Amino acid sequence: MVTMAIAKQTLEDMLRRKILLILLIVAVGMIALGPSVGFLSPRESSVVLKSLGLAVILIAGLLITILAGIQVIPTEIERRTIYTVLSKPVQRFEFVLGKFLGGLATVFVMIAAMGIVFLGVIYWQQHNLPREMVTGVAMTFFQMMLLGAMAIFFSTFATPVVNFFLTFAIFMVGNMSSVTESLTSNKNPATKLLATVLHYILPNFGNFNIQNKLIHPEQTLSNPSVFIFQNIVYAIIYSAILLLLAILVFDRREV
Amino acid sequence: MKQQTRSAILAAIVVLALGQGFIQHVLDPQIREIHKGEKTALAGLSNEFILGPMLGLQQAVAGALWVRADEFFHEGDYDAILPMVRMVTWLDPHQLDVYITGAWHLSYNFTDSNERSDRRYIPAAQRLLEEGYENNKTLYDIPFELGWENTDKIKDYDRAETWFRVASAAKSSDAGPGTLADSPMFTWHQLAHSLERQARIDEAADIWRKVLGLTEARLAKNPTDFSTKNVRDSERHNLELLLKRKFSRYTHEIDFELDAKRTTGINPQTGEPTPKDSFTSTDPKEGPVGQPRPPAVTKPWNTAFNTVPLEQIGKPRATTTITFDKPKVMDIKGLFSVGDGARVAIRLHDADWYEPTLKDFTFDIDQSQTIMQDALSVRSRTWGRKIDMSRDPKMYSFSKDAANDPKLKKLSDAERKKIADYYLVLWFDPRGTSPFIQDKFGWSGEGMTDPGYLWVVKSNKPGIKPDNRIIRKVYRLRHAQIMGIEKVTEDDVIPNAEYDRIQEDMAAKHRATVSTNEP
Repeated sequence: MVTMAIAKQTLEDMLRRKILLILLIVAVGMIALGPSVGFLSPRESSVVLKSLGLAVILIAGLLITILAGIQVIPTEIERRTIYTVLSKPVQRFEFVLGKFLGGLATVFVMIAAMGIVFLGVIYWQQHNLPREMVTGVAMTFFQMMLLGAMAIFFSTFATPVVNFFLTFAIFMVGNMSSVTESLTSNKNPATKLLATVLHYILPNFGNFNIQNKLIHPEQTLSNPSVFIFQNIVYAIIYSAILLLLAILVFDRREV
Repeated sequence: MKQQTRSAILAAIVVLALGQGFIQHVLDPQIREIHKGEKTALAGLSNEFILGPMLGLQQAVAGALWVRADEFFHEGDYDAILPMVRMVTWLDPHQLDVYITGAWHLSYNFTDSNERSDRRYIPAAQRLLEEGYENNKTLYDIPFELGWENTDKIKDYDRAETWFRVASAAKSSDAGPGTLADSPMFTWHQLAHSLERQARIDEAADIWRKVLGLTEARLAKNPTDFSTKNVRDSERHNLELLLKRKFSRYTHEIDFELDAKRTTGINPQTGEPTPKDSFTSTDPKEGPVGQPRPPAVTKPWNTAFNTVPLEQIGKPRATTTITFDKPKVMDIKGLFSVGDGARVAIRLHDADWYEPTLKDFTFDIDQSQTIMQDALSVRSRTWGRKIDMSRDPKMYSFSKDAANDPKLKKLSDAERKKIADYYLVLWFDPRGTSPFIQDKFGWSGEGMTDPGYLWVVKSNKPGIKPDNRIIRKVYRLRHAQIMGIEKVTEDDVIPNAEYDRIQEDMAAKHRATVSTNEP
């Protein structure tokens, strides 16, 4: 209950932040402009519209998640409002979890808003609602959930500026998981070892990059539902690891 | 936090870490399947596009690049499009239209001042499409395009047939993304046409009968479907026309003008019209009045092909009607006794040229290579044109010159003069000509004869595809002749058998270096 109360307060606070609202408005505007590539053939227009729409949601989601995640705990410490919270019968883990859930709810609201506009634009242009696009938006959300957990973990010991670059850098490296995966079979033992460590220890954001299959659904996986379920489970498990680490670090931290 | 709680949390972290490692291991093969065909294209991207792929936005960057490429196309900057085609297909190997449009650019849009295609790009176009097929085997679009290019541009009806078969067996997503239906009927229609082009008439007729059956079954379920009715009518018309032509050319010649007034129908297996007097003679010049006319191809037609002035035909050391009054400007004329509308194909190419099969797609071409190809219309039994290649030095470099090649300095002048720098090939293939000319000659030139240049091209599928009778005349040329320094004479003509041997040697050399890209 305490966790949910903290989460609700965090959500309300985040939705009042102008920077996040501006990002949302810009993203929605860019999605709405998607049909302006109508000078291409219908199939090409559809591909470009979907790829650009999913890209905008990803980039906007990335910025919103990082900006929200790096600030939720440090802001409370800077303003000293954390003392008020922790002086009450609130466990530190409840605080961390509440902040994470509040941040996650913020990201959910933002991505849902962009997703609704995106699906609306597709429906307006093509008169049908491809299920793959709903999957794409959902996968972006789970990707951002993992990213948010990482930002929360770093925020327990790093400053917001350091956290921003660290989270962004790990996101970029994590997106190149297909590269690290291919290097795990490299002949050079040092490269192979490093690639294996990177591939299995760093969060693999590249797992969620399935725009290819979503935009070109004729290119089928053997079992897409299982693949998506495995990805969601991966995101939940890794997020849990990061949150547990955050709890351990924050528990020892002097505020 | 109590120490016990910390320990429990650490233990949970270890267990979860092992769990996520296991799930990652399970995901890896599926992710490899998803990204099959993609390549990291970062090195070729400009700054504003590099961040995209690094954030996992390959498809969005590919889309943005393709929009940019479309702008270049409308500005006429065709050279700028090619690297973008490469980049987009690396980033998103499932954008079918990029492969198809890119191949079309390569095959059709690089031209000389007279809009003759630069044929050096055709192997690249084929390889691009083949790469597209390797990454998109489910759908018909790319194999159909391969079939079409082989029909329209390359005139290789064998390969066209192979690709149309692949296309007709593939699926279609034309109804919308995610929907997979059977390939459209026109893939089958083109398959039938490609078989007809190879003079495999019975097989072509079987395809028409098959698709007609499928269309009629579809129409029976939905009798008011206008587009299916149109398709049915078109298929029926094509089948009847094919059978009529076969009957007329090889059984009894049909008068197609009278036919429309006298015929009530045709036998769907043999093409024999009813009533039978549709193919009986009404003119004593054709044969006994009232008797069935003989097959059209049994009346031998002397095409009298030549590139020698009329007054010199049959004389020793005759001059030719091929002159280079200025360097690289060829004025060529000839005689060909066929109906207006036939076309004489002409190709001037390096002596060591053979159309390569590329292992990997590249739009880099050998700039020192020269190949010019055109088709000249016959009017009132004559054909000819002035072909000015001097205005396009990049396309027509004519860099081969054995007489001045330092690597050949050990040879005498006489020996060097025997070395061909170029071949000028003039030919007429009845298989690619208009139907009304084929009505006289047959699909394989059976009704055609020529005192000088008739050549039988042996079938590569004996028993399946008949031999083909073509008209061909080949000149061996030297650099000095192209530059107008020396004249082209009939002494430069080489026998067709010799030219075939040369081409076979080139083909063998080429086969030794690359593997085939057939499906």
